[in-house]
Amino acid sequence: MRILLGLLIFFGSWLILSMMLSQSLILPTPMETFSALVEILRDSTTYSAMLSTIAKGFMILGLIIAVGLPVGFVMGLSDKIYELLRPTVMIIQSVPVISWLALVIFMWGIGWKGPVLIGFLSLLPISIFTIVEGVRSIDRDLLEMVKVYRVPKIKVFKYVYIGSLIPFIKAVVDVSVGNVWKTVLVTEFLCGDRGLGVMISWARQYVDVPRIYAITLMAVGLGIGTERIAKKLMSLTTRRWGM
Amino acid sequence: MILKVEGLVKSFGNFEVIHHWNLTVEEGEKVVLLGPSGCGKTTFLRIIAGLEKPTEGKIEIGFERLGFVFQEPRLIPWKTVRDNLRLIEEDEGKIKTILELVKLNGFEDHFPSQISGGMKQRLNLARAMVVDPDFMILDEPFTSLDIKVKMEIMEDLMEIWEKRRFTMLMVTHDVKEAVYMGDRILILSKIPSKILREIRINFIRRDITNRDFLGMESRILRFMLE
Ligand SMILES: Nc1ncnc2c1ncn2[C@@H]1O[C@H](COP(=O)(O)OP(=O)(O)OP(=O)(O)O)[C@@H](O)[C@H]1O
Ligand SMILES: [Mg+2]
Repeated sequence: MRILLGLLIFFGSWLILSMMLSQSLILPTPMETFSALVEILRDSTTYSAMLSTIAKGFMILGLIIAVGLPVGFVMGLSDKIYELLRPTVMIIQSVPVISWLALVIFMWGIGWKGPVLIGFLSLLPISIFTIVEGVRSIDRDLLEMVKVYRVPKIKVFKYVYIGSLIPFIKAVVDVSVGNVWKTVLVTEFLCGDRGLGVMISWARQYVDVPRIYAITLMAVGLGIGTERIAKKLMSLTTRRWGM
Repeated sequence: MILKVEGLVKSFGNFEVIHHWNLTVEEGEKVVLLGPSGCGKTTFLRIIAGLEKPTEGKIEIGFERLGFVFQEPRLIPWKTVRDNLRLIEEDEGKIKTILELVKLNGFEDHFPSQISGGMKQRLNLARAMVVDPDFMILDEPFTSLDIKVKMEIMEDLMEIWEKRRFTMLMVTHDVKEAVYMGDRILILSKIPSKILREIRINFIRRDITNRDFLGMESRILRFMLE
């Protein structure tokens, strides 16, 4: 009920604002946007564009998990490795997206690799530092306890580390899922050959503003949808770990 | 001899905590170190367990399987009672036996947050028992518990000890606990701590309100307050 009311407020203010402005070049009305959306959804190429964007998003999330978690874990365990890798990670964090973009276009031209790499690099540092934080926050008393009882390393990992890291892994997934679509769309816009970002870039060339808004709505839906699914999945897995 | 400590000194920087301790523990003995807060009791136990290096002195160890009952329970919060033991010992039969021994049967699937403080210490004790220790270290495991719960656990522990006869080295600042548990009590000074005195307990102490018990308690108290 509240959600409906919230949506009503959102679309209501949009409607009022667009009527006040009455310039569909800047802000089309919700109706114009919805009719553009219907048109887009009738077109079958939309779905392959959407799939392409989704595929990139999941590739980025997969890479973050596959690279960010282990690297963060090792950096958290060893101060030496932390000191060795920290400058690299910090530099990656500080390089502007536009510089990656130039590099990627020289390397690969336009295509799917650029958006994936840039999305990955822009989410990687925060993921690594979050996991480092997690490893460092593990209860020293528990680690000492397993040392006294000479618990094998694998078991310590399964029983102590994973459980302690779950809130931090959750945070990584939350942040990544929350940001991945925005990054993917921007990079598709700039160096992609397919996807929602590319669709926006074409619509821009035709100055089809309602269409831009309609694609944006789709992206928002994608964002909210995946966030929901990620939350559900996380709460299922954490229940399995008894938290 | 299962433990021999000679000329043990431990300092953190210039701060001397343990000052020249000598002691020997025989197999099957129950030795209690009784000393004020902050006198280095935990530090001593950590040295025995190999978690800390002595600054000076020699330590000979004759035990093979060490059980360590920590001052705080140190349980894994996201693991059940059973899984907290499984961390140390996989054998379901052993786990079951130990849980019965410490009277935690029926709570196997509870998480630490779902059991009382006394039960947490029972689990702490169970974890030390499940390795089938020949040497058991206890670091003030009952101090945070009320007298009734404390007595119940100590009685159960004594019953377990009657069956298994491991060597026990306990530290505490509680005189009652010391008299109840120890065959031998070593009284420590405040920091930098020395072993001031050794007292043997020869009477049977199932009752903490009987005259022998209270007499011994007040004798030790008087000595400590001097
Ligand atoms: N790693 C360390 N570095 C520096 N000082 C330490 C360290 N560990 C212990 N100390 C100091 O050594 C002294 C003895 O500490 P310890 O924990 O052994 O005392 P305790 O007798 O167990 O006290 P309590 O009865 O409160 O448990 C304290 O003053 C403490 O601050
Ligand atoms: Mg202590």
